[in-house]
Amino acid sequence: MLNSLRVATFLAFKAITRGNLGVTLMTIFMLMLVAMNLLFVPGLINGAIDSSNRILIKTYSADIIVEPKGENPFITNAESLMKAIESIDGVAAVASRNTINAKITFEGKQTTCTVVGIEPKRDEEVFEISQNIIEGAYLSPRDRNEILLGVQLAGADIKNLELYSSSLQHVHAGNKVIVSYANGPEKQYTVKGIFRVRFIQTDLQAFITDLEFQSVMPASRNRATSIRIKLEQGTDPQTVIKRIDNLRDDLEFKTWEETAGLMKSMTDSFFLINQILSAVNFLIAGITVFIVTYVDVVNRRRQIGIQRAIGINPQSIAISYLIRALFYALTGLALAIIAFKYVVIPLEMRHPFTFPFGAAYLTTKFTVTARMSVILLVVALIAAYIPVYRTMRIRILEAIWG
Amino acid sequence: MFDVRNLSKVYNMGNVPVKALDNVSFTIDTGDMACIMGKSGSGKSTLLRQLGLLDQPTSGEIYLDGQEVTKLAETARAALRLQHLGYVFQEYALLAELTALENVYLPGMMLGGKDTDYKKKGKELLNLVGLGHRMHHYPRELSGGEQQRVAIARALINNPQVIFADEPCANLDTISSKRVMETLVNLNRDVKVTVLFVSHDPDDKKYARSVIIMSDGKIVDRVTSPNA
Repeated sequence: MLNSLRVATFLAFKAITRGNLGVTLMTIFMLMLVAMNLLFVPGLINGAIDSSNRILIKTYSADIIVEPKGENPFITNAESLMKAIESIDGVAAVASRNTINAKITFEGKQTTCTVVGIEPKRDEEVFEISQNIIEGAYLSPRDRNEILLGVQLAGADIKNLELYSSSLQHVHAGNKVIVSYANGPEKQYTVKGIFRVRFIQTDLQAFITDLEFQSVMPASRNRATSIRIKLEQGTDPQTVIKRIDNLRDDLEFKTWEETAGLMKSMTDSFFLINQILSAVNFLIAGITVFIVTYVDVVNRRRQIGIQRAIGINPQSIAISYLIRALFYALTGLALAIIAFKYVVIPLEMRHPFTFPFGAAYLTTKFTVTARMSVILLVVALIAAYIPVYRTMRIRILEAIWG
Repeated sequence: MFDVRNLSKVYNMGNVPVKALDNVSFTIDTGDMACIMGKSGSGKSTLLRQLGLLDQPTSGEIYLDGQEVTKLAETARAALRLQHLGYVFQEYALLAELTALENVYLPGMMLGGKDTDYKKKGKELLNLVGLGHRMHHYPRELSGGEQQRVAIARALINNPQVIFADEPCANLDTISSKRVMETLVNLNRDVKVTVLFVSHDPDDKKYARSVIIMSDGKIVDRVTSPNA
């Protein structure tokens, strides 16, 4: 067996170094493109998923959402509860939120939305909405007649917005809008700012200060529709949830993953697309190696016959073809990984792909790369073995003289 | 050395069976320099291919040093070809991507042993066939006669008991033919290797000690050459 391997390696090496350089380079190039595609698709999908999860946490859900249990619409004694939560290990910041449905009108155009009452300072520590102001400014704690609008509500004359037609379309910072709350009050606000986080659910919200919210809904004083918790990196949400659950028994909890229903259907679709594209790519890789090997064994049929006639065993000849297929696949793979890591990723970092939920940055995960590499090598081996096996079954004389 | 008994080979040309070998029996002694002669289509190359284990007869047996070899599996036949038989083809059957030296030592590498040993032996054999100065040349850089001598050197690398040469001079000019045949004669005389060659040129009888004459797949005569 050792001799077979030695002869196989020798024959493969000579065929690669002294064979047709153009064919070798073309095969490697093809496999490099296939491998890059295999890296690109999951890289993009993982990047998009990471990006969507990040934006969901940073602008919409936070890491943990605490809500009242049962029919009760409010968490009572919200202030003391928040202080207690803040003292738990692993909690980075806490913010309370109150929500109410409302209609907003501007120059005869009307739309519905959720108005959220926030403590601007605390909310800023949990969420990144204040970092995404495209017009005007973020709310100040003492603001009473000001409102912060999401871009999908305001429109802001950005005609390519996903929901522009149902938005107020022409609202800009400084404009005045009328808000009719679901519980009755109607009030005029100056648009202090417009934010755009590129996550539609967030960009459809309007924010006022908790002070103003209490004037609209006096019952909300020291109460909250929900409390949002930001965790320190590496903290297990379940540990924190257990600790809060021990404080009171009138609360229920959601992690950010449980609020990601919309995202989940998107990521599931992404995974399916990835599987289909990967299967197609593996098929292309297999066909490339098959054709190259098939053409080679047909062209070298006589040489293979001679090798067998002089006593080179068929295993050695077959293994030499498998080594060549491995060489093509490994070289293509190595070049693809290098090109992906040092050219494609840095290039994409500068010009990222933009999704409705924001920019997606390509990522490489070791497990994904390793699994793809192993499958690609196995596919190359199988694809090379089929034509070689068929040729090895031909009688020596037929191989030499046809 | 070879004991051939009732050997037949039938090819099917479409639906018509053609007897290339018809119940052939003969023996070849160790150290012989034998020539198989006959007209084109007489079955001489077919006989050589059966003896060289490149093909399987339809019926009959071949004994090599007492061992029946016709029914061996391909792996065992490959091992026998590698260790005991050397084959020189009519066409220049060298591997294009290997140099003369690499062509010669490849079967040695297959047999095993030290890298330095079979390379050294490859060089010695190329010197023996007068091509020591051409060992790093590729087949395309060699003349037909030189390629045939490389093939002879390759056939010798594993110290075979017998060398089969199938019309080794068919594609060569007179001078090259003489050189190739003299190489085979010298090997038979000096290295004591049995040589069995096929030729349709009556002049080649002079190189053989025994001559097997074939016609229509049968041995019609066997003579000892007076010139041998």
